[in-house]
Amino acid sequence: MATYDFVFSALGLEKWCSEGQSSAPLSMAQLLSKAKGGDGTEAISIWDLPFPSLDALHKSCSAWPQSRDLTKGLEDGFLQIKDNLSLVLDPITQPLSWSLDGALYAMLHTPWWIVIPVLLAVVFLVTKSWKLVSFVAGSIILLAFIDYYDYAMQTLSIIFVCAFLCVLVGVPIGIAMSRSDVMQRMTIPILDMLQTLPPFVYLIPLIFLFSVTESKLYGIAIILYAIVPVIRLTNLGIRLVDKEVIEAADAFGMTPWQKLYKVQIPLALPNIMAGVNQTIMMSLAMVVIASLVSAPGLGVLVLKGIRNLELGVGLVSGLGIVILAVILDRVTKASLARINAAQKQ
Amino acid sequence: MTSDVKISIKNLYKIFGPEPDVALEYVRKGMGKAELLEKHNHVLGLRDINVDMQEGEITVIMGLSGSGKSTLIRHLNRLIEPTSGEIWVDGEDVLSFNETRLRQLRRKHMSMVFQKFALLPHRTVLENAGMAMDVSGVSTADFEDEARKWLARVGLEGNENQYPHQLSGGMQQRVGIARALVSNSPIMLMDEAFSALDPLIRSDMQDLLLELQKELQKTIVFITHDLDEALKLADHLVILKDGEVVQQGDPQDILLNPGDPYIVDFISDINRARVLRVRSVMKEPSGEAQDYAGDISEKDNLESVLSLSEGDTNLTYRVVRDGKTVGDLSMKELTRALVPTAAASEERQKGR
Repeated sequence: MATYDFVFSALGLEKWCSEGQSSAPLSMAQLLSKAKGGDGTEAISIWDLPFPSLDALHKSCSAWPQSRDLTKGLEDGFLQIKDNLSLVLDPITQPLSWSLDGALYAMLHTPWWIVIPVLLAVVFLVTKSWKLVSFVAGSIILLAFIDYYDYAMQTLSIIFVCAFLCVLVGVPIGIAMSRSDVMQRMTIPILDMLQTLPPFVYLIPLIFLFSVTESKLYGIAIILYAIVPVIRLTNLGIRLVDKEVIEAADAFGMTPWQKLYKVQIPLALPNIMAGVNQTIMMSLAMVVIASLVSAPGLGVLVLKGIRNLELGVGLVSGLGIVILAVILDRVTKASLARINAAQKQ
Repeated sequence: MTSDVKISIKNLYKIFGPEPDVALEYVRKGMGKAELLEKHNHVLGLRDINVDMQEGEITVIMGLSGSGKSTLIRHLNRLIEPTSGEIWVDGEDVLSFNETRLRQLRRKHMSMVFQKFALLPHRTVLENAGMAMDVSGVSTADFEDEARKWLARVGLEGNENQYPHQLSGGMQQRVGIARALVSNSPIMLMDEAFSALDPLIRSDMQDLLLELQKELQKTIVFITHDLDEALKLADHLVILKDGEVVQQGDPQDILLNPGDPYIVDFISDINRARVLRVRSVMKEPSGEAQDYAGDISEKDNLESVLSLSEGDTNLTYRVVRDGKTVGDLSMKELTRALVPTAAASEERQKGR
């Protein structure tokens, strides 16, 4: 009947095969071949030999699983552990919801004439550059003037919370990686996966796990996406600290803790800050995608622009995101440059 | 003499590789460095080192790169663990120390000066100088006076609030020395401390070290690959080659009686007139009345005697110490001592 019949007959498995009559609905391919009216007995040339895949083998033996059984099984498995998983994950991640909601509430309910000066003061504090402060002031005033202030502030507060949590979690992970090669070997594949997995993909299981109305849903998506650079660069920064200086620290009798916070972290700070810069930029990228799962902010407008084909809205909100990106990048780079200047060798 | 031994290294072996203990057996049976590397893929770092370092002296360990001298100095404060052997400091076995005791040793009893300075780039000069104090938990305010005193002593008054990158190499190494002095430890380990400096500054730093040593009488272990530097500083000279001690002793003695062709090669290029001192080449006073051309001190180097004689080889000088005659030095003997190969071959004939 099909190409690989001989395998099953050689193994004497015809009986087992015929037992497992598939109860699944017909697949598209089966439907098409039925419509063509072929009975599947025409001779197959070597050129058309199909790869012995799940589906090809299934044609010869209906007890053999199809590839859709694999994806189905994965889904079933996930749904089975889902309840237990969310029982554990829900309370752990609850603070994330609170902090996101709190930040959004605080940012939007504080009057603009307090928020803008505070932001500018922070910018001055970390960069000590009036030029940058006036640039940021100009950008925010422009956004506010075209009535995009609320959206921009929503986006900004989500980024603040997520980037802060990324640093809080990522730096210790990076330190642990730098101290143990085993830990590094185990963590790197996970980081690689997080970095290359299309961001839409981890939205899917998250939607299963958490309700879409909860803000931790997009919070987790953003953190998973943006945490990688800060971990990598903390690890790298600590490993790159001059061996001679570490040796001197040992020779003067520093304990491992003293070495960490008196030598390694301060010397790795330029790299860690470069990681923080990357993390902030990546959370900005993700906050747009996360608007698919109810993250508020400029991303919602972009989405609206796409859905309703409102070109103007899409363009202006896209521009707003660019402005935010430039602000965040310039400010973190300027503070990074200040740290670098303080400890160049 | 033995009561003055501050640091004693006994039968020290170090082998780098995955199974040093196995390789150690081969080395004990006499396998050489090259053979060990080729057959067993282990690197012989140090072989059977025995050195006693006297209190208050500068012990110089000299060798070319790869001779194991930096490995050796790192054994003293156990930055590197030995494969086998003993290290005694003040009559205590360093290898038996636990972490806390070892840290105590590094904080209070041994300080180290590094070739590439190894200062903390994010700390000021003052904070760097007080690093040993800071590590033991003394606050900056409490060690500030001490740190300022030593910084001034090494010539860095007024630089206290600068950062290391604002200083030149020579000044950075002065901070390195001040850092070692502030710790107030009786032992100073100096790992090629002056090798990264240019020649003039290096000579300045050597003078500074000798001056400090006259005042402080610390036990200094100094590593160098530069023979001139070694001869200038050493009270006790240890020459390493391929992880083994080829010769050790009084530097003058080594110069006059090199015990190994390797050392003969080594010393053939140096300015003997500047290094050799009168006491090393003078003869017992003959007792006969002689026409002395003048009095010289036993500590003078031959160069100064040469210039005193204005090249006249017929003169004989009387060597005095504290006003007493201790020997004769004829210019002929002096000139002979300046010829390295002659001195060496003469020694060999004597040996037969």
